[in-house]
Amino acid sequence: MSSLPRRIIKETQRLMQEPVPGINAIPDENNARYFHVIVTGPNDSPFEGGVFKLELFLPEDYPMSAPKVRFITKIYHPNIDRLGRICLDVLKDKWSPALQIRTILLSIQALLSAPNPDDPLANDVAELWKVNEAEAIKNAREWTQKYAVED
Amino acid sequence: MEQFEQLLTCCVCLDRYRIPKLLPCQHSFCMEPCMEGLVDYVRRQVKCPECRAEHRIPYNGVQAFPTNVTLQRFLELHIEITGELPDPTSGQIMERCSVCSEKSYLSYCAHCEKKICEDCKSAHMDILRREITRFNSQIRRSLHRLQDTLAIIEKNSVSLQTNCVGVTEEIDEICRRITKAIKDRTDQLRGEVDRYLTIEMRNLTTLRENLDHEIQNISSNCDIVDKYMNETVEWDDCELMDTKEIFLKTVEFLRHFEYENTDYTRRVRFLVSIDPNQLVLNLASFGDLNIAPHSQPSGSVSSSHLAPPSGLQPGLMRSKSDHRLATQFRQQEERVGYNDEPVLGGRKFGERPVRANNDRYGDGNSRYGRGTDYDYENEYDNDQTPSRPGKSSRFRSRFVRSHQNDDSDSEQQQAQRQQELEKKKDRVLSGEDVSRGQLSGIIRLSDCARVIQRLADIGKEKKEKKSDTAAQAAVQAAIQAQKASMQRPKQGAQRQVSEDDEISRIKRQNKNAPGGTATQATAANTTAQTTESERPAADRVAALKRTGVPQGTSEESDSSNHASPVRRTPPPRAESKAPVSAQVAAVKKTTRSGSSDSTASTESSTSSAAAAAPSSTRARESPARSRATPASSAVTANSNSTPTTEKKPFVSRFLPQHSSAAASNEKKKAESESSSEEETSSEESEDEVDTKSKSTAATSSSLAAKSQVGSSALSSSGAGSSSGASSYRERLEARRNSRDDASSRPSSSYATPSSSGTSGYGSSSRQRTVPAPHHAHDSDDRYGSGSAASGSSYTSRFLNKSKSSAIVSQPSLSTPTASFDEDANGTGDDSDSRYGTGRSRYLAMKERRSRLARSRSSHALGNEDDDLDEPVSPTTASPSAYLASRYSGYGGTDLARSRSSHALKSRDNSPITDRSTASARSAIVTAAGSSTSAAADSKDGEALSSWARYLKNKYGNKSAKDTPSSSSSGASAAPSSSHSHGAGVGGSSSSGSSASRSHASDVSRRLSLGLPLRQANELGSSDDDGSKNGLGSPTSPTVAAAAAGITGVAGTSLRDLYLRKRQQLFQLGGRGSEPGSFTWPRGVAVGPDNSFVVADSSNHRIQVFDSNGIFVKSFGDFGCREGEFDCLAGVAINRIGQYIIADRYNHRIQVLDPQGRFLRAFGSQGITDGKFNYPWGIATDSLGFIYVCDKENHRVQVFQSDGTFVGKFGQLGPLEGELEHPHYIAVSNTNRVIVSDSNNHRIQIFDVNGKVLKTIGSEGSDDGQLKFPRGIAVDDQGYIVIADAGNNRIQIYSPDGTFLKAFGSWGSGRSEFKGLEGVGIMSNGNILVCDRENHRVQVF
Repeated sequence: MSSLPRRIIKETQRLMQEPVPGINAIPDENNARYFHVIVTGPNDSPFEGGVFKLELFLPEDYPMSAPKVRFITKIYHPNIDRLGRICLDVLKDKWSPALQIRTILLSIQALLSAPNPDDPLANDVAELWKVNEAEAIKNAREWTQKYAVED
Repeated sequence: MEQFEQLLTCCVCLDRYRIPKLLPCQHSFCMEPCMEGLVDYVRRQVKCPECRAEHRIPYNGVQAFPTNVTLQRFLELHIEITGELPDPTSGQIMERCSVCSEKSYLSYCAHCEKKICEDCKSAHMDILRREITRFNSQIRRSLHRLQDTLAIIEKNSVSLQTNCVGVTEEIDEICRRITKAIKDRTDQLRGEVDRYLTIEMRNLTTLRENLDHEIQNISSNCDIVDKYMNETVEWDDCELMDTKEIFLKTVEFLRHFEYENTDYTRRVRFLVSIDPNQLVLNLASFGDLNIAPHSQPSGSVSSSHLAPPSGLQPGLMRSKSDHRLATQFRQQEERVGYNDEPVLGGRKFGERPVRANNDRYGDGNSRYGRGTDYDYENEYDNDQTPSRPGKSSRFRSRFVRSHQNDDSDSEQQQAQRQQELEKKKDRVLSGEDVSRGQLSGIIRLSDCARVIQRLADIGKEKKEKKSDTAAQAAVQAAIQAQKASMQRPKQGAQRQVSEDDEISRIKRQNKNAPGGTATQATAANTTAQTTESERPAADRVAALKRTGVPQGTSEESDSSNHASPVRRTPPPRAESKAPVSAQVAAVKKTTRSGSSDSTASTESSTSSAAAAAPSSTRARESPARSRATPASSAVTANSNSTPTTEKKPFVSRFLPQHSSAAASNEKKKAESESSSEEETSSEESEDEVDTKSKSTAATSSSLAAKSQVGSSALSSSGAGSSSGASSYRERLEARRNSRDDASSRPSSSYATPSSSGTSGYGSSSRQRTVPAPHHAHDSDDRYGSGSAASGSSYTSRFLNKSKSSAIVSQPSLSTPTASFDEDANGTGDDSDSRYGTGRSRYLAMKERRSRLARSRSSHALGNEDDDLDEPVSPTTASPSAYLASRYSGYGGTDLARSRSSHALKSRDNSPITDRSTASARSAIVTAAGSSTSAAADSKDGEALSSWARYLKNKYGNKSAKDTPSSSSSGASAAPSSSHSHGAGVGGSSSSGSSASRSHASDVSRRLSLGLPLRQANELGSSDDDGSKNGLGSPTSPTVAAAAAGITGVAGTSLRDLYLRKRQQLFQLGGRGSEPGSFTWPRGVAVGPDNSFVVADSSNHRIQVFDSNGIFVKSFGDFGCREGEFDCLAGVAINRIGQYIIADRYNHRIQVLDPQGRFLRAFGSQGITDGKFNYPWGIATDSLGFIYVCDKENHRVQVFQSDGTFVGKFGQLGPLEGELEHPHYIAVSNTNRVIVSDSNNHRIQIFDVNGKVLKTIGSEGSDDGQLKFPRGIAVDDQGYIVIADAGNNRIQIYSPDGTFLKAFGSWGSGRSEFKGLEGVGIMSNGNILVCDRENHRVQVF
């Protein structure tokens, strides 16, 4: 196991020192490439009040390839499937080494505020979102309440 | 500022820009690794991470993008402003790491001497740390040895004191007795004289009285006659007649009276039966102190105890992790022996010349002998200017020290030396040298500035943390101490000023120590006086040189460094020298004799005079001189010799720089001078070179004489005695010359020993040292020492041939030859250093040879000479000898054999054959020497050729018995042992035939006489083979015959054969990465043709040997590709000769064809079927199934020969059928699968389906018990051989699983093991054992 690239160390340090509001990423004790992420649902979104757990893994060739991010907390979102996989361009082909963990997580947070049912991953959700947005948002709220709110 | 920072940060690596490259979109990124990583190689595009713009990559790659110069300036500016340190890797280009092959910024790793990446480096540092820890514990464990030694020394000093007191009392007693005897005798004589006087006086008085009376009577008669005998008085005729009668009688009396007027002045004479001078002489030397020599060169109590055990030493020397180092190390050992090297190669702690960033300190420690050769050379040159005072004590080599200690004769001297040492320590200027161990050269880490710095840093950190611990206090204390000691250098200067005072004080002490001085002088005396004493001295010196000089090149520079303060102020030298006894002096002299004798040849005449002047005065003060002895000449010679020694380093350092032209001029001048002094030598010698040198030497002596008070004869005799050791050899050589030349030069060789005592040797020794001045132009005086070192073997080798004293030559011969074997066997420090000798000897030989070629090219003698030179020269036409010596006789003697057997047939033909014969023969003598002489210790044994060892093991005792008469002398025993295999075989079959025995002794005699063996061979055709092969090598058919004999025996009772197993037949290997050497050999497998393969684990290769242990080939390299290995463990050979290898760290099995080509590999890391976790042992059965010990999966897996998974059995556990770390596996021809269930301390025997048939052994060390069994092998009758690794022994079980035999123990000697691995059985019953930590394979 080769040691950690400086970039990861730097990013981790910065994440710790200057945390982004609403985002909390903590590297795993055993694997510094694995992060336990908590993203709070953005205000004015159906996910408001929710605390979403994600996992983020930096692959071997990071930053040349995108980090792997997955929602652990169930979420009702057209771009996030039931397994928590996220459909986000910057995580796929739009990945750029100039992006960072924090930017990715911000993007995800933004994705929560602005679902994009036109580029769906969870087709049923996207369908509902398109057909009956209010219903979908209500579902999302319910899911958030159900899964993402801790008492 | 924040923004500014950000602008200077590459957004990809989030680091400061390193070589920012500007993309056409105006975004900049570091060239490496950022830009490199962005490249889409398929499309040859780079996509800007910032704007996602895609750019074509220029033809030359990303580096062709323009560098953002502005940005770079900003970076520089930023660095200037903030003062932050530039990134250490800035400006560097990424390279592939030499270890992990990853591209990264590399830095130099001192551990492996490669440029490697940080990761690997830190890994290596970890290794080093671990090793240091391990060594630390090792050292801690063995430190008590030093303490024990301390106690012993205490004891010894006490006993020495008592001894000396006792001797002094004895001397006093003797003195009293002698005085009393003299007094008694004097009284007696005096009484006698008195008595005689009285008697004589009485006689004389009586005589006088009588005479007076007579005179009175006669006078009165005369008067009466005058007065009254006339006519006036009447006398009758009777009266007249009576008167006349009286007067007649008176006349008669007077006429006849005669007084015996003897010479009363000399009446009594005092006659002394013995010449009084002689008597005085006798009295003066009425007793000699016999100072028992130490048994071995380095045999002083301290050094022998301090000599690291051979097992420990290599460990300390080398870090075990880097097997690749072994090669380099060896090369260095070639150049420089380990022993006399300073720790860290003379560097300052933690500094490394090559390293760019030498910020670490921890790494320097594990590598001791690094780059010293280089250093030496440099320092040697640099030290011409006495500007490196700190070096003075650097070369306190263990060896030299021990010798000085060795020869210390009295308590006083020891104490005095101790004082000297302390003073020296104080005088040392460099802080690091302050605490340098005088014996080992080990410095105290806490004295190293860097360490202090480190500790201080730690301390600071700790302080910051406010954790005030005791350790910290200790550290602080250490720092304080260090600081204090660092300030000492300043005082050092003052001290040096007062050096001379100290010296004089020491001298005074010397004078005050009469016992010591006397003994020392006596020692000197003995060396100088007789050839007889020189003879052993020569041997001893030779031996010393073999160990002492070995570093060859270093010896001189050693002394130069050692003496650097000395040069400035000669006295200290004397001070240190004076107590050293003559033997050590002789060593030094001989090693330096070349340079010393060249004193005369050049301007150095003045310098020598100058040098001699203070030294002579000093010498007068020195103990040797201050001892007033009637035997003045001898003493003068000795004391002369002392200054000569002191002069030597002086001259040697300066002389080589003089041009040879000047030298030759001087030489010619000297020639004329010398003719008067030494007519014999210059007249007789037709060798011009020799003459010149001789005469120059003569001049030197004369100059020395002038500068001193003594006569030239004395000084020359002094020189003679000083270099007596070498001169002896030279004399022999000269004798050979004279014999060969027909034009005899007895004068130079025998050199009038009768006329001028030792001067004969003096002259010859001067002749001996010719090479040095002669080659001074192209070398330094190292050659002098080298040739001096060569002398012993040279002549002894010759002697071996010579008709006279082979016996003498033998001991010295065997070891030099052995020194070449070092490569194969050895890590012992002796052999290491011997190797050094070999090399220097080679150099010297080469030189000498060229000289000889020049001087007498037309002589037929050339052959002989070449012959003698050859064996040590690896580059010349006789590689056989070289190889033979180098590879412990394996590969080499094979060649040698072919040649030598040929040579025997046509012995007189060519010099080449002659040569090889000689080498072969010398090999035999070596063999014989060890095989018969009880003195041959294990070290010698190791160094011997395998053939010799083989013989020794097998028949050594027998041959000794067979030829008891010859066993005492190694040389004469040689042929007997070469024959003894014949006898031995005979003995094993029935009983030794007396005929063969007599023949053997005959041959032995012949060989010892140097006669060609051909006649011997002709004597008996039955023994012809034997003797020839005796000359040959282990590969000879006789061995095969012997082996066949064994097999024959084995055929009848294999059991007996196994029961007899105890002694190693031969061994091969030795640590290293060259062919035939191993680094942790693990698996071994025997092929159908009895060849065997060894898994040379940490060399990541397979080595193939033939049935006689001769290296055939090797293949494989480090890596994970096809045909590459990573710490392979087990190896097996299947029926068709394919090699099946458990590639341990690659978690796979590889199959190679018999040529070593890759066929297939299967498996990967994992726990499922067909996957491995550190596969270890491997075996095949007759059907070609492959059985693999999947060690960490605690199971055995079975595959088809093509790698298809067939089955598995075993799981972790202690129960029957369960395994824990199975290591090795073997399959019998009855298809019983035998597994060494290592951590369960047992052997389990399965059938092919994995059903347990039997379990052998339980944990323990009794017979039949096992502890971590590893290697396992089964022969075709089902006997099982188990490497009982935990008990370091081999156990043999009969096919039914009952214990049969165990042998071996822990150690690194023969038949000893350290970490057993695989074992194998050859079809003749020989057992191969991989002795891992000894890096060898032993054959039983």
